[in-house]
Amino acid sequence: MESLLHFARGPLFRLCFMIMLLGLARILFLDLWEAYRAYRKAGDKKMPWRLIVRRGLEWAFPMKRIWRNPQLYSFVSILFHIGLILVPVFLFAHIDLWKSAIGISWPALPFRWALWLTISTIVCAAVLLIERLSVKAIHSLSRGQDYFWLILLLFPFVTGFVCANLKIGAGLYQFLMLVHVLSGDVIFLLIPFTKMAHCVLAPFSQIIDALAWKFPPATDQDILETLNPNH
Amino acid sequence: MNRVHNTKIVLWLITGLAAAIALNRFVFGLGATTNLNDEVPWGFWIGFKLSWVALSAGGFVIGAIFYMMKREKFHSLVRIAILTAFLGYSAFIVSLIFDLGLPWNIWHMIIYWNPNSPLFEVGWCVMLYTTVLVLEFLPVPLENTSRYATVRAFLQKFRFPIVLLGIMLSTLHQSSLGTLFLIMPRRLFPLFYSHIIPIEFFISAIAGGLLMLAFETLALHWMYRRTLETDLVHVLCSVSVWILGLYFLVKIGDVALEGKLGLLLDGSWMSYLYIVEMLLTTVIPFVMFVMPKWCANRRVQWIGTSIGIVGVVLNRIDIGGFAMRDATLWYTPSWMEVVLSVGILSTAALVFLFIIETFHVWDIQPRDPEALSHTPPFFDRVSGTWLGSPKTSALTRHTLAFVISFAVGMALISGKRLHAEGIENVTVRPASGIDTLCINGNRDSQFVEFPHQAHIGWMRSGRISSVTIDSLHYVLGAGADSCIVCHHLDVPGEKLSNCWECHTSMYSEVDFFRHDWHASASGANLKCDDCHTPGETRTGRTARKCTACHPSYTFADTAGYGPNAYYIPSYVDAMHKLCVSCHTIESRVIKDKPNLALCSTCHRTGTPPGLRAGMKWDVSLPRFDNVVLPTPVRGIR
Repeated sequence: MESLLHFARGPLFRLCFMIMLLGLARILFLDLWEAYRAYRKAGDKKMPWRLIVRRGLEWAFPMKRIWRNPQLYSFVSILFHIGLILVPVFLFAHIDLWKSAIGISWPALPFRWALWLTISTIVCAAVLLIERLSVKAIHSLSRGQDYFWLILLLFPFVTGFVCANLKIGAGLYQFLMLVHVLSGDVIFLLIPFTKMAHCVLAPFSQIIDALAWKFPPATDQDILETLNPNH
Repeated sequence: MNRVHNTKIVLWLITGLAAAIALNRFVFGLGATTNLNDEVPWGFWIGFKLSWVALSAGGFVIGAIFYMMKREKFHSLVRIAILTAFLGYSAFIVSLIFDLGLPWNIWHMIIYWNPNSPLFEVGWCVMLYTTVLVLEFLPVPLENTSRYATVRAFLQKFRFPIVLLGIMLSTLHQSSLGTLFLIMPRRLFPLFYSHIIPIEFFISAIAGGLLMLAFETLALHWMYRRTLETDLVHVLCSVSVWILGLYFLVKIGDVALEGKLGLLLDGSWMSYLYIVEMLLTTVIPFVMFVMPKWCANRRVQWIGTSIGIVGVVLNRIDIGGFAMRDATLWYTPSWMEVVLSVGILSTAALVFLFIIETFHVWDIQPRDPEALSHTPPFFDRVSGTWLGSPKTSALTRHTLAFVISFAVGMALISGKRLHAEGIENVTVRPASGIDTLCINGNRDSQFVEFPHQAHIGWMRSGRISSVTIDSLHYVLGAGADSCIVCHHLDVPGEKLSNCWECHTSMYSEVDFFRHDWHASASGANLKCDDCHTPGETRTGRTARKCTACHPSYTFADTAGYGPNAYYIPSYVDAMHKLCVSCHTIESRVIKDKPNLALCSTCHRTGTPPGLRAGMKWDVSLPRFDNVVLPTPVRGIR
């Protein structure tokens, strides 16, 4: 068990984390590279930058949008995202691991905050899962990936919570820690290849969206020719 | 099967793996990446690199044949030869950045001249020749644009002097790379050492360069499925026959004239190495190419050129490392050295393929078959998605290969702790002596004497200044008891434990506390809350003190290191901290004694005469810097 744990948080962690880091950089690069090529080919080179920025900010800080969608879903989703980002990055134990491995550290969350954020993230994930299953509209839009990710993300949070806060024996602690680390590794490995890649792609989605409506010059003629047999 | 694409994927995979190791080398140093040491500072890296220079010799040879001797049939090879040479030299320079201990000082040789050093000459020649190669090759990429037409015209006008300069510089440094080894008659095994080693290097470089060009032509035709200009490969092979023959005669003649033929057949590992090298470099390719019928056979060309190239590479590796005196006792190249070297080569190969696909280097510019406009769109096999335009689809798959192999490289580079694992793990052996301790950390003649009994006397008599004692209590947090000042922690059941009992590793930090052992079922089997206060972040600060469970510990709660930290300093760091921190303070007070805070005061070279009698090896042997060679040298002399 101990050697497995060492492997999971040593070589396996480095493998998965590097695949996530470089994989995200790669898809971001490919995304922007294709966007650039689309822009170069476009007939109309005027980009609605103001609109892009406004819409981008609206999605990043959804103060208005929150009231348009089902409110519970919006709130829970936002809270879920906050916990999902803050807890793994700013947990003291994680920062300590980074510090001992490569010597860098950053300010940590206070213990109470981390505790309550973990609990809120677990609860939010459960609510989101129930919502996906029960609300018909959301259920019909969901793919297998969406359920899979909610369940997978629960693993490290639940095991981390139990390990950090409950009085358990050494054997159970190690087993749960192994599950914690392994599920974290799987998450890192899958992020760049699934919908989770939105963590780096989302800021650019408005630009891509705007570019999608730019066509190469004389596209309209080509479409006309294709659609109109008499042309 | 798309040969171009598959080759590129393989090259990207190797490049990714090498990139991870390159990162490792720059972050954690040469020690974490290579098996090189003070005895063998030039191992596989240098030898392998020297062979790149040799195999790039085609650039100046073809330049000479085409421009000087006006052999027009070599026209289609000139640009490829120059490009190969340019990339070979660039790869050499790039690999130097990884190899040099202080790579940011690489420019020093431009300013700080040492005309007595062969490396000075090599450095300047390589630098100048790479510039010449750039000037030779620059007209090719400039063909694509009309903007720099004047530059192009200028370079073409002065092509002849540039080529001439290139030939001169190549001749100079191809041979002076051999000159480097002239200063090591006692290090290089006699069979490999020769007074005419520069000439041997020069001749073998010409043969290697020609064979490399023939191999490249074969490989490019195979990759892009083009019909082979058999004639040209045939010509290259048949020219190289004469040079290989000459090389063989020079080598064997030299060995015979120097009276070393006996060594050739004495059945030692070095003699086998030499025989294998000679078979690969000269005998086998010579036999294959000397018969016109065989020489025109494509399969023979493939095999012959490959064997010849392997031979030249082996020759350089032998002379650069394996044939060094006793090198094999101390050194086998680490896999990271090999991968990083091969990775630089594969990066160069990728650049090569990019350049020949982008510019008019070959007589007919080849294209990646997938990038042709008439090929159908490529769908990914796993996800079933369209991977974009041909250019983007290739990029998508190549970058994925890079990412995956980079991550695999990162997983492989080291073990538990990223930066400590690569350091050689030297177990500390206790210091010898009773009243005066003899600390022999490196197991060489550089002892550090520590008058232990005298220190006790000085402590007790108050000869050590009160400022120091006070500071010591402050720094180490120890009580007034003078022993505890240094013996700040004891192993359970002991009193006044020795330093090496806890500081067990010479250079790396030691996991002294072993949290995993304390928390594991097979270890102390403790629950978290047994040590950590419930409801608080579980850190060292919120945990109980060691003395709560181990009352026998007389632990000084030192700053930085102590029961709060998992890791304690290495033996070297602990000793230095203990001695130097006192003596720095002491040296401010005492002015009429030697300054013991200076390294050289304790680290004297040479052995105390009394100790020399009992030494296991003879310290009067010839010494290379501070390395003392053990007397029983295996089989070589």
